[in-house]
Amino acid sequence: MAHAGTLTISNLSKQYEVKGEVLPVLKDITLTINPGEFVSIVGSSGCGKSTLLRLLIGLEEDYQGEILLDGGRIVGTSLERGIVFQEHRLFPWLSVEKNIGLGLLNAKVPEEEKRRSIQEHIELVGLSGFETAYPYQLSGGMAQRVAIARALVNRPEILLLDEPFGALDALTRAHLQQELHRIWQQESITMILVTHDVEEAIYLGDKVVVMEPRPGRVRRIVPVALAHPRDRAAYEFVRIKEDVMREFIGQPAEEVIEPPLRAHDAPSDRLPSTFRFAV
Amino acid sequence: MLPLGLFVLWWMASKYGWSQSPLLVPPGKVWATAVEQTTSGQLWIGLRSSLWRDLAGFTIGASAGLLFGAAMGLSRLFENTIGPSFHTLKQISLFAWIPLISVWFGLGDTAKVAFLSLAAFFPVVLNTFEGIRSVPRESIEVARVFKFSRWQLLTKVVFPSALPSIFTGIHLGLVYAWLATLGAEYLLVSGKGIGNTMIDGREHFWMDLVLFGVIVVGLVGFSLTWIAGHVEARLLRWRGTSVAQF
Amino acid sequence: MIGSAAQFTSNRRAEREAEPAPLALKRQRKQAAVTHESVRNFVLAWPFPLAVLAFWYVAASRGWVAAQVLPSPETVASTFADLFRSGELLANLKISLWRVLGGFAAGALCGLCLGVSMGLSSTFKDYVYPLFKAFAQIPVLGWLPLMMMLVGIDEALKIILISKAALVPIAVNTYKGIQNVPAGYVEVARVFRFTRLQLLQKVIFPAAFPPIWNGIRYGFTHAWLALVVVELLASSEGLGFMIVFGRQLFQLDVVMAAVVMVGIVGFSLDKILALTERRLLGWRRHGF
Repeated sequence: MAHAGTLTISNLSKQYEVKGEVLPVLKDITLTINPGEFVSIVGSSGCGKSTLLRLLIGLEEDYQGEILLDGGRIVGTSLERGIVFQEHRLFPWLSVEKNIGLGLLNAKVPEEEKRRSIQEHIELVGLSGFETAYPYQLSGGMAQRVAIARALVNRPEILLLDEPFGALDALTRAHLQQELHRIWQQESITMILVTHDVEEAIYLGDKVVVMEPRPGRVRRIVPVALAHPRDRAAYEFVRIKEDVMREFIGQPAEEVIEPPLRAHDAPSDRLPSTFRFAV
Repeated sequence: MLPLGLFVLWWMASKYGWSQSPLLVPPGKVWATAVEQTTSGQLWIGLRSSLWRDLAGFTIGASAGLLFGAAMGLSRLFENTIGPSFHTLKQISLFAWIPLISVWFGLGDTAKVAFLSLAAFFPVVLNTFEGIRSVPRESIEVARVFKFSRWQLLTKVVFPSALPSIFTGIHLGLVYAWLATLGAEYLLVSGKGIGNTMIDGREHFWMDLVLFGVIVVGLVGFSLTWIAGHVEARLLRWRGTSVAQF
Repeated sequence: MIGSAAQFTSNRRAEREAEPAPLALKRQRKQAAVTHESVRNFVLAWPFPLAVLAFWYVAASRGWVAAQVLPSPETVASTFADLFRSGELLANLKISLWRVLGGFAAGALCGLCLGVSMGLSSTFKDYVYPLFKAFAQIPVLGWLPLMMMLVGIDEALKIILISKAALVPIAVNTYKGIQNVPAGYVEVARVFRFTRLQLLQKVIFPAAFPPIWNGIRYGFTHAWLALVVVELLASSEGLGFMIVFGRQLFQLDVVMAAVVMVGIVGFSLDKILALTERRLLGWRRHGF
């Protein structure tokens, strides 16, 4: 079983340069995440919560301050940290099991072990019977389950989730939240969830980090000391929700500062017009 | 950088006589030929007759192709009865038609224009057909909600959404027509096109003239695509991306 | 399939996703519809060409047009059979096929190398792209007289021009395909710490494959087109030569037989490519 890690973020700042102008995205973030904890980060669009995750996973590297995992500075990506993106990012040319197997490509374990681990994780996310299905044959919720399995198959210490259920309908989302909670308890690893859904944040989190935008800062950390399974209609739950919601009042309206990432679009097979002159 | 380097290489090779081949003409001579052809009007005669044929054939072929493609796109019956024959005929390589056409229409302009129309016809039909067939169902449903008449459906929904694809067809038609213009001039040897000029040059071993012809052919092709691309980009501004650039 | 479907329902409780119906069932239903429709389409496809054929037959047998201008369908058919039996047709076909395959293979190889290099290295692209663009703008037929002077009218000329025809679309599509690989996929590879080779093998090439394949199809069509025109212009064997030769002797039946052969080959090659595509690109949504 994977052992969880302690994540220490201190005085973290990050800025982008857009057309010669410096845009601060994150400012002075200090946060400690304990082993096995479930931390939710909420904030309106543009508060830099996704950028924070990209820094934690190691896709962005240029920052001030410190991000330490078990005392060691985070450099680049690592198999100890897994991530689930908002779009599932499954490779359409691979079947479910092969997609999950990608995570083990660089793991130093024997083939037999890999195969067993893939099967276990397919079962973990409840997709037995769909091993050989291709992504186009899956619904949005199922695809996101595969993405979760792919991220977990390495048995990382930390799982980062970047609005993983943002594009799903309400019922599917509620169900997957329940499933994610079960997986968290079963695997006992650290999970960090970025979301703009306050209810989701409270339902899953041991604590909720509320961020405010321009530049992205931690506004408040709200502990959620409720027993699982949580009842969204319970008085305590609603009280915490109102408490968190109050933090958003008076925040400036959303202003999106997207990281300069190329759009996640399908590859086009149209010939560019100038080259239709090809014979 | 690289083109410039090659050019210098070419220039040095001819200047210092690295090769005695008569095929290695100095850039200066090509330039002189270019100037001479342009000022004497030879170029314009050739270009005019080539372009005239190109446009005439293209216009006929593209119009016919539009009608045919629209008929095939709009009527399943037409598609099922005539479509298979069309798709079979389309497999015959374009230039294989030339000998037949030359028997039926002679060697003159009629034959060439007929051949050019054929060259433009196929891509226009295919893309018009595909454009009409891939009109999103959602758009058609919107039209049904608003109780559009059949004619309104065609002019307000089907045609505009098929337009990008139709343009691709027209674009390709233009390209093929220009290719066919050259082919027709090589194969139906008569007249004064730019293709004839090049064949002439080859027969007399005038490398400078042939090289000049190659450049002109490239430039004309480039201009045709450029114009088509910009017309397309202007008319299809609603797509949000420029089609002309790539 | 039934087993997994049952398992599937028991696994879901509250989840109401738009679950795809069990795949086998869906396929079956679809196949039934397809066969019915294809029979109908098959029947509908025949009246028109048969009518044309009948009209042609009547026109030829009543002597409405001279036999030199339009030989009767049965003359064409018997000439086709004769040429086929004597081996002349097949011998020429073989030569043409070798040329097109050789030229295409050479062009595809160069095109792939060029496209991959341009796609992966922006320095290389900056150097080569402008020249390549200029080269590509000039159609095969523009190069033809120049090439005739440089290499003569031998086999080399045909191979060079056919490979040029195949090279351009393949190089462009490969380059564009690699450039358009979604950044999100590359990030997944980084998260899993793929090596450079793994990134190419597992992400870039599969993702760029559909456009590259499209380029290959374009390339093949263009190669076939180039072959015919080159053989028409400068050749003493091959299908194109048969056409020209027949035309010179005013044997229009030979011309038409060869044209039919050109059509058959073009059709078969297209079908083979389409079938290969279905095998290779099964993961795409097509057909569903």
